[in-house]
Amino acid sequence: MRDLPTGPSLLALARDVLLNDLMRLLPEEARLDARLVANSMAIAEREAETAGGLGEAIARELANLYDCREKGEKAEDLLRCFAHDLRVGAFKNSEPQERMARQILWQLTTSKLHQANPRFLAANGFDWPCLEIEQCLNPGFRK
Amino acid sequence: MADTASPRSDTPLRTGALSAEGRAALARFLAAASGARAVEVTGLVSLRGGAIQENWAVDAYFTGGSLAGDQRLVLRTAAPTGVATSLDRLQEFAVLRAAFAAGVTVPEPFFASDDPTIFGKPFFIMRRVSGMAAAHRITRDAALEPALPGIAERLGRELARIHTIRPPRSDLAFLNAYKEVGPTRQITGFRAYLDRHPTPRPVLEWGIRWLETHLPSSSAPVLCHHDFRTGNYMLDGTTLTGILDWEFAGWGDAHEDIGWFCCKGWRFARLDREAGGISDRAPFYLGYESEGGRSIDPQRVFFWEVLASVRWAVIALQQSDRYMFGGERNLDLALTGRRATECELEILMLLDPAGAPPDA
Repeated sequence: MRDLPTGPSLLALARDVLLNDLMRLLPEEARLDARLVANSMAIAEREAETAGGLGEAIARELANLYDCREKGEKAEDLLRCFAHDLRVGAFKNSEPQERMARQILWQLTTSKLHQANPRFLAANGFDWPCLEIEQCLNPGFRK
Repeated sequence: MADTASPRSDTPLRTGALSAEGRAALARFLAAASGARAVEVTGLVSLRGGAIQENWAVDAYFTGGSLAGDQRLVLRTAAPTGVATSLDRLQEFAVLRAAFAAGVTVPEPFFASDDPTIFGKPFFIMRRVSGMAAAHRITRDAALEPALPGIAERLGRELARIHTIRPPRSDLAFLNAYKEVGPTRQITGFRAYLDRHPTPRPVLEWGIRWLETHLPSSSAPVLCHHDFRTGNYMLDGTTLTGILDWEFAGWGDAHEDIGWFCCKGWRFARLDREAGGISDRAPFYLGYESEGGRSIDPQRVFFWEVLASVRWAVIALQQSDRYMFGGERNLDLALTGRRATECELEILMLLDPAGAPPDA
């Protein structure tokens, strides 16, 4: 239980103050750093909004991929196992597994970009209006 | 390496902090190297933008010698931490000299020294060229629009000139043998880095696997710039005044530089313009082929473009490592690590162009 306003909303307000009140008072040579600060705050805000959900959802997908053999394993361990299997081409002989693996790669990447750089995602033709984690992981995006 | 690493503007942004003794030592070095009777260092300020290297604008008056009169120079030396694969400053100086001699538009290289009593670390001196290299401005500036295809063609010609430098070269003997810098060695390096990285990167592993199973045939080695892209050349208005940042140069496949220039990571504000964010590929390819006579193989470029996205992702992660593990307090470096995921999206878009497969 935390007090209100929430951490993400404080970050949003602080960023707004930085960009709209403080930026014009800064000397020109300090503005690039100030924009980087604002960008960092935006990323932190978006990540705080979806804290935990992204990792858990990807872990569920990975558990499905591994047919529950890895049930109970930590998301980080499953992801490491997944990365290793991709390195050695472990899914190349199973079309269903290869398809699931590609789905996870897309979900992982677009979900992370939604937090880190949604404008880049949009610039590449991915329409992602929602912030709900379940929707984010099943956006049905297409180029 | 991110969009920096060399003098990016005429405008010094920070005042340097070099002692009077340091200035005097630099003046003595410049006098001895140029044959001047005396040199007065009239200005010395740090130039913002050196993510891997540190650049100083040096204004100096030479009395006599090969540079007699007022000179606007750049002193280039190493930043506190860097990327392990880059050349040292004396090696970079040798490459810059080779490029200058080959007719590539580069800041004229003058002198180099590894004497620590002058600047505290090895450095070299080159002419300070005018203009700006800010990639976001170049790719956004409406006033540049009509000139951009011509600039792309000129850059193609410049790259072809770089690629006329071929081994063996006794002055570049420090560069690795070609067979050691091909894609296989890079793939091994990427994996070694990922093995040390604290977070698994499945997309990179998948992309690297594709590279490993689609290796191109070997080709005659040329000097590759290895960071030839928008952000690493200077424009004064619409005139190209210098190709910058030679610290990653080495022998390699000519298509590697083409793939790097065209990869999405270096298109900045114009992802739709596949040649460095400034034009489509045709003018760039035309300039390259007409200057060098070597025809471009699109399939080969595709391979190197995939590799470029993997390489840029690894470099981005290495940049944020400099903050996380190297103790460099630099927000720009810290944020650069986040760009790795942009490269991963590009890897997916290149290798899985139909998009995410639907549920079975």
